[in-house]
Amino acid sequence: MSLQTPRILPAHLNTFHPSSSGPRSTHTIRILGTVTNLRGDQATITCGNNGDVTLLLKPDSHLQMGKLVEVVGKVTDLDGGQGLGIRVLGTTDWGNPADCDYKIYEQVVEATHRFKSIFYDAE
Amino acid sequence: MDGGYNSYGGGGGGGGGFMPGEMNSPSGGKGGDRDNKTLRPVTVKQIVDASQPFPEANYQVDGADVASVLFIGQVRNISSQSTNVTYKIDDGTGEIEVKKWVDSALADSMDTDEGKVAGESKNEIELNGYARVSGAIKSFGNKRYVGAHNVLPVKDINELHCHILEATVVHLFFTRGPPGSANAGASAGAAGDAVMGGAEDYGAGQNRAVLSMSPLAKKIYQLLKTEPQDDTGLHMQQIASKLNTPATDVARAGEELLGAGVIFSTMDEQTWAILEY
Repeated sequence: MSLQTPRILPAHLNTFHPSSSGPRSTHTIRILGTVTNLRGDQATITCGNNGDVTLLLKPDSHLQMGKLVEVVGKVTDLDGGQGLGIRVLGTTDWGNPADCDYKIYEQVVEATHRFKSIFYDAE
Repeated sequence: MDGGYNSYGGGGGGGGGFMPGEMNSPSGGKGGDRDNKTLRPVTVKQIVDASQPFPEANYQVDGADVASVLFIGQVRNISSQSTNVTYKIDDGTGEIEVKKWVDSALADSMDTDEGKVAGESKNEIELNGYARVSGAIKSFGNKRYVGAHNVLPVKDINELHCHILEATVVHLFFTRGPPGSANAGASAGAAGDAVMGGAEDYGAGQNRAVLSMSPLAKKIYQLLKTEPQDDTGLHMQQIASKLNTPATDVARAGEELLGAGVIFSTMDEQTWAILEY
């Protein structure tokens, strides 16, 4: 048994929040976005036309402004009731966002959730 | 047997014969399945879930034998040994160990370590980077792993996304049949309209045997399928006049269909109906 990390869009954060109903086996997710803001231990990524997500970084996270990153992390509450964010476990730099067709990623998220059986165990 | 199988992996897979786990691995059964040289795009979860009908049988995914698999994931661990390199690959759906045999011919030709590094730098696999793996599902004891033909770095994220969608398409092909066949039953009339078109192949896809037959046999099959008729089907002469074809040709094509068991004769030898089951 190994850890599964479903690929999601910002709209799905709620579903993977620890407090959401159902004994979901994982709150660890993968998300793809462009780094649009960096401040101290927080960063913001923009996920195509699907909105922004706040990341809580690790001390050894190396993010660069304007780069496309894939984030593996846990869905968590932000301080001061600012909604949901992601506590980063790891990031992968994919370079220039222009080289990625975000529409394809949206389709990937759609396909991986619709035909779940080959991607993720039922929660 | 080994030669034919290993030709797939070139020199890289050449050392496979010396693997201690070979006795338990499914490759022994592969000799009888030479036609299945397909390279299937899969997820790691599908490999982990792959079933084996009996020990030493081929692994099956979605009920179909898999010869070689192709998947893309992140490299979580690299462990280099003298004879092989073992990678741990995680694609978000699961984790699997991948063993790539060190190409001894290649290693010999490069005497120094520096030479080796320079030669491999283009195809270097990085920790936590993405890699595309092609290989065969094997097992050693109770542990499942992939004997890799190739492990190559992935630099374009679209390649990863394309792979995921491809794996989904192939999964749906095996679980639901070729695209269009789901509708073909409901709209047999529409399929009949496209008798000579490319869509016809999918329309007839409900019966794979028909796909490889002569065009006339396909036409007759479509006609029998779409033409209003009673339980006894259609007479050869009726078919000949409807298709505007000489009766002798119809008879010959009919033989083809009868031989394959997709139609059967009803009242007499010349009256046919579709065999549906």
